[in-house]
Amino acid sequence: MTRKLRCYAAALGVTVALTLAGCGGSDDGGATSANSKGLEKTTITVGHLPIPDPVALYIAQTKGFFKEEGLTVKPETITGGAVAVPMIESGKLDISQTNYVSTFRAVAAGKKIKLVADMYQAGANTFVIMVPNDSPIKTVADLKGKTILVNNLDNVATLAVETQLKVAGLTKDDVKFAEKPFPDMGNAIKAGQADAGWITEPFITANQSANGFRKLADTMTGQTEDLPIAGWMATEEWVQKYPKTLAAFQRAIAKAQQLASSDRKEIEAMLPKYTKIDAKTASVITLGTYPSELNANRLQKVADLMLEYKYLKSPIDVKSVIAAPASSG
Amino acid sequence: MTGARLLRGAVGAAGFIVAGELVIRFVISDDLSFPPPSVILAETVRLLADPDFLAGLGTTLANWAVGLLVATCLAVPLGVLLGSLPPVERAIRPVLEFMRPIPSVAIIPLAILLIPADGMMKVSVIVYASVWPILINTLYGMHDVDPVAKESLRSFGFGPLAVLARVSLPSAAPFVATGVRIAAGIALVLAVSAELIAGGAAGLGVFVVQASSGNRMDLMMAATVWAGLFGVVANLVLLAGERRLFQWHRMRTGARS
Repeated sequence: MTRKLRCYAAALGVTVALTLAGCGGSDDGGATSANSKGLEKTTITVGHLPIPDPVALYIAQTKGFFKEEGLTVKPETITGGAVAVPMIESGKLDISQTNYVSTFRAVAAGKKIKLVADMYQAGANTFVIMVPNDSPIKTVADLKGKTILVNNLDNVATLAVETQLKVAGLTKDDVKFAEKPFPDMGNAIKAGQADAGWITEPFITANQSANGFRKLADTMTGQTEDLPIAGWMATEEWVQKYPKTLAAFQRAIAKAQQLASSDRKEIEAMLPKYTKIDAKTASVITLGTYPSELNANRLQKVADLMLEYKYLKSPIDVKSVIAAPASSG
Repeated sequence: MTGARLLRGAVGAAGFIVAGELVIRFVISDDLSFPPPSVILAETVRLLADPDFLAGLGTTLANWAVGLLVATCLAVPLGVLLGSLPPVERAIRPVLEFMRPIPSVAIIPLAILLIPADGMMKVSVIVYASVWPILINTLYGMHDVDPVAKESLRSFGFGPLAVLARVSLPSAAPFVATGVRIAAGIALVLAVSAELIAGGAAGLGVFVVQASSGNRMDLMMAATVWAGLFGVVANLVLLAGERRLFQWHRMRTGARS
């Protein structure tokens, strides 16, 4: 068995080595010490989901905020937080989008990850439970014994729903959660596979108009009001190795976040450029807010909620997970 | 003959599209939101004017081509070597049989961890998946060599290398070609799957991931149509190449396809 495994590893190694010989030169590193701003690394690869949350990355890119800092940013589409962690660990990505629930779970599991900038905070009606218009489910309490679709189990989706169940006097044991990607939820509910779905934009708008779904409950009220959702992360090692590069990234992103939170038109103009959300949809979807400061007190709320609903076994001090920007350049 | 076959194929495809259109529009439209073929085909054509999509298609096809080439360069010499040295083949065969059935898509997460460079990671999984059909077919080809022909050359005083070059290699070549053609399809599957799982800066799979997050099922399907079309064309080109190069092989075996 060990021999086979070793052979397997060796063969994979050979494949890799030959491939390396075959198509070398695709990675240009970007680690140069000679640049005007004294950055340790001038080219960074940043992973993000093709959704409205990381819009600041593209605002900063388009408006030249990164360039002003002497930084070249290569954006890459990622498919979810689960693959983003190994990607920053292997060095494929320098910085990546993450959601806070995933991050704190990873930190609790011993991953050396730092949050480097805030990205997206929930607003009213940005994450809602939806049911078909003719559904007998009229209140959250009616969800007892029903199946609710979420994009990921044991993550922000189930946490947000649980806070609403609690208000209605239910717990997670009173309902059934099932995993389903957002694009497939509408069809699955119509086909009778589930009774309700925890849905975000642009799928809230799409399910309202195409499927005639109605909103049963906003999951970002009460305990989850203004819940921080997503941020930018890097490994602890990366943060220590490239402090000036990080500071440059943080300044550019903060500037873009400010622009995004002050003018919705900036977001609407940017969405069709990096997502498949067209201008018309961009103008009607419900958006959260884009905080420009990484605030430990605000993020602590997520970790505390996770502890309360047993997503964490022991408390996390969020201050220890944050690589806050240096106060002066 | 081929004209009639082409016509029948076209009729079949058109019938399938019309049936799909009718079923989606009138039978299941109430229970399921799914774009009908007419919408998908219109988007398929429109994608040709989308620079992002074309860049993605280029990236994916480049990965595909490099992966298939590296796999061929690896698998053919290895297959010839193992095929000419039966004791070595017997020793290595169990390892090959162990590795071959591992679903290649399952090694993508491992590749993400091990290989930081994105393009190299994708090409590596394509190579891993494509090596097997080429290797196995090359081995079969080497086993299939006419022993009488080999013996004849040997008795005329030809050395083992000459026998390999004059009898074994030409005789195994059609098998190798078939292996490459099978691998071409598998390589395309892996090229797109790697992008669907790992994402990236550009690619057919990356485009599908973006379309999916933007609730654009029509664009997802349109991109998929292009992947399918490319697969069909690649197969036809390789098949035509095989027919031209190995006309003698078809005559000898009486194979008709």
